[in-house]
Amino acid sequence: MGRYLIRRILYMLVVILVVSFITFSLMHAVPGGPFDKEKKLPAEIIANLEKRYHLDQPLWKQYLSYLNDVFVPQFASEGPKGLVVDDDFLINIKITNSFWIRWMNFGPTFTSRSRSVNDIFRQNLPISVQLGLMALMIAIVIGVPLGIISALKQNTVWDYLGMSVAIFGVSVPVIVLGPLMIWIFGVTLKWLPPTGWGSKPPYFLGVFPTNLSWDYWRTAIMPSVALGLGSSAILARLTRASLLQVIREDYIRTARAKGVKERMVITRHALKNSLIPVVTILGPMMAGLVTGTFVTELTFGIPGMGKYFVTSITNRDYPVIMGTILLYAVFLVIANLLVDIMYAYLDPRIRYD
Amino acid sequence: MRSKLLGLAGLLIVVSMILGACQPAAVPTPETIIQTVIVEGTPQVQIITATPAPVVAPEEMKAITINMGPGDIPTIDPSLGTDTSSIQVATETFVGLTRQDEVTNLVEPGMATEWSSVVNDDGTETITFKLRNDISWVNYNGTTVEQVMNCDGAPRIVNANDFYYGIIRTLQPATASQYAYVLGMSMAGAGDFNSGVTDDPTTVGAKVIDDFTIALTFVEQAAYNPAIAGMWIAYAEPSWLIDGDDCTEARGEKWTETGFFQGYGPYTLKEWVHDSTLTLIKNPFWPGTTNIPQPKIEEITWTMLDASPAMAEYEAGNLDTVAVPLADMDRVKADPVLSAEYVVAPNFCTYYYGFNTSAPVVDDVRVRRALSQAIDRQSLIDNVLKGGQEPAQWFSRPGLAGAPTMADHPDLGVKYDLEAAKAELQSYLDEKGKTAAELDITLMFNTSEGHRKIAEAIQQMWKDGLGLDVKLVNQEWAVYLDTIKGAATPQIYRLGWCLDYPDANNFIRENFGPNGSANPFTNGKPSGGVFYNNETFFAGLLEAAREQDPVKRVDLYAALEQTLVYDDAVIAPIYWYTRNTLTKPYLTRTFSTGGHEHIEKWDIDMAAKP
Repeated sequence: MGRYLIRRILYMLVVILVVSFITFSLMHAVPGGPFDKEKKLPAEIIANLEKRYHLDQPLWKQYLSYLNDVFVPQFASEGPKGLVVDDDFLINIKITNSFWIRWMNFGPTFTSRSRSVNDIFRQNLPISVQLGLMALMIAIVIGVPLGIISALKQNTVWDYLGMSVAIFGVSVPVIVLGPLMIWIFGVTLKWLPPTGWGSKPPYFLGVFPTNLSWDYWRTAIMPSVALGLGSSAILARLTRASLLQVIREDYIRTARAKGVKERMVITRHALKNSLIPVVTILGPMMAGLVTGTFVTELTFGIPGMGKYFVTSITNRDYPVIMGTILLYAVFLVIANLLVDIMYAYLDPRIRYD
Repeated sequence: MRSKLLGLAGLLIVVSMILGACQPAAVPTPETIIQTVIVEGTPQVQIITATPAPVVAPEEMKAITINMGPGDIPTIDPSLGTDTSSIQVATETFVGLTRQDEVTNLVEPGMATEWSSVVNDDGTETITFKLRNDISWVNYNGTTVEQVMNCDGAPRIVNANDFYYGIIRTLQPATASQYAYVLGMSMAGAGDFNSGVTDDPTTVGAKVIDDFTIALTFVEQAAYNPAIAGMWIAYAEPSWLIDGDDCTEARGEKWTETGFFQGYGPYTLKEWVHDSTLTLIKNPFWPGTTNIPQPKIEEITWTMLDASPAMAEYEAGNLDTVAVPLADMDRVKADPVLSAEYVVAPNFCTYYYGFNTSAPVVDDVRVRRALSQAIDRQSLIDNVLKGGQEPAQWFSRPGLAGAPTMADHPDLGVKYDLEAAKAELQSYLDEKGKTAAELDITLMFNTSEGHRKIAEAIQQMWKDGLGLDVKLVNQEWAVYLDTIKGAATPQIYRLGWCLDYPDANNFIRENFGPNGSANPFTNGKPSGGVFYNNETFFAGLLEAAREQDPVKRVDLYAALEQTLVYDDAVIAPIYWYTRNTLTKPYLTRTFSTGGHEHIEKWDIDMAAKP
């Protein structure tokens, strides 16, 4: 297992490096630059801006210095001063007063003049993670039981009801469901605040809200339900299909023939095996949810990461494009690794050595 | 083992949430707040003893909440602001040498109480500004707004050196300010300093005469020079805070963050939660002047919501004023309550279609004029835009200094006239021996639902009225901007312009003058945009900028507009913008035409507020 993990982590590093190279090449290949405006800026102003952000250097140099800033730990004689947004490392370890190890500087953002990409990670990412985890929990809590009931009661009214709910969840996107919920619960009934998110920095462990009041949950209900419902529908359909298949397997018949109680057959034997495809999809689903969702965050006015995936590209905000894509890539490869480890638990035939 | 790991991860999440939940809610007594200061680059824990101010019941305090639009405010550093929201905050937290009335856009005293102008022998103009001496720098310390003290313990008073520092900082190449070009174009020596030709700041035409007198030298005498001196890029800035001094820690680019920020305007920064809200608090040390009174509203909170969620918040009673989304326009007008709260106010922007006058077909002025005359602007406004916009007959938005108005020039420029359009086009077709259907014309716009609707409506007008088949193409914004500034500029393209300073010069000359924003030049020749090269027109732009008699000036601009939109038909002006706002009845307010509100003039009738 240990050797397997080390090998996987090395592969992950390669994947991340490849992703960074492709992203860097693509974003510079697209026409238009970060300082193109409706109002044409004079060449001297553009020159000042490009110099400020080191865009006047050749591309290969920009890429290498980006890799150096992000991936290579730096040894510094002093800690962070915070005077310029370029000098902002995610990890600063003090060895002695005059010896610091600093790692992961994702650079400044071109659009927010007093913030760095790391500021976005510190301030916006936690909110997306909170929302994403809640949505994921809702998706699992609703989706998996719904799928199980539908499969066990196949072709009964419960099955049809469950699958109708699932089809509703898949076909009504957040862009419709969100404003509808805001209208009903926020504006008409006034039960919940229409928009906003009830936590702000600082965060516990850098992620979790420090002030979990009722107001916090009130802001969280609508967006996490709206976001979770769509994913729960996918999980429900997947669980149902998978469970239906497993129930017809030989080993289930064997278990029944041996006289194992029906409840044990389902929970111990059928369910565990039917979860393999569900777990497979949970990995990418989680990576997608916790790194921020553009539409949900925009609809509910949540200051998360989601919009940076979109606006950074339209703004040609190069460091933010690189930062968001790498972040997503890291989440995705880690989630996939967790999924693979889960396989070994769910299916005794799978072992890693 | 594996299941344990998973269980542990789950447990951690649950425990952390419970731990968080166990923390008591904030109580209104003195308390010690442990604050993680993230601006330092690495999270550091600081102990701050904060004693909340005497508790005023929140429902008794005059506070308003306004929406700024989605996305974080890019900056509140006056040197760096380029967009409406950045400048809006700077407008309330600083005051320029001069200030414009937000409705009439007339130049009024700001930090300067009076100014006098001298035209020098070399044609430059030096304006000497006399400053107020009773405004101190302030900072919000977490509980109250307090004066900023210098190293001797005396309040720091805003003076000429602070303005000089602000102007030079804007112009420093290292600051990389985008709007530095406005000073670069207009102030003597500023362009060379900004582009690094010289690194000697004394070559810039800004001189501190004494603590409360500053003289600015402009490259040419112009009516709008005092307005430029009042722009955000020329505000006073706190050098001790940005660069540090004996008793102040330097904050560099982070000086505008919560806790650090210092200003001197009617409001100052209370809290900026990036991407979420920005709150300003009344500056009690602002003495109130004739045109910049002491604020009546204690706190302003800006939210950063998309249009539709903002509308929902307004209807839920959480926003005091909101911009009406297009989708809700019909409903608002029909609703008895909302329609009473609905106001259409002018907004100083122009929406237009530009012609690449060097491209086939539209290189003939008759075709361009026909296309422009065949646009039924009123119908477009009534059926597509629905926001009470005004049909534009020329480019410079009426209300700008120097710009003609509909009242005194009702027939100026270009209007919907289908018969004339048909005649113009027919004359072209006869000469070329072609039919209208054979003409190959492309209209390009940047990808957006709104621009598409307008383009499709106009495409239909050209089809029905002139029998032309115009192709529509769209490009993503940044790609589009690249396209329309070079040789590949399509025959017709859409663009808009909003004011930087309220003068016709900012519209017509800065766009269509040689190397203007919509008329780029390379080596003295047009190289993009409208490809317009008319020496008489260019000379007229200069003459109008220098003309001192306001009435004559309007006549000069009227003639230039006629050339631009009719005689040469370089562009087809489409509409002048309006703002569609809903305002709660208890809020007394003004409607800014330039986009930056002066909230110090607003008031709330607390008795009428639910």
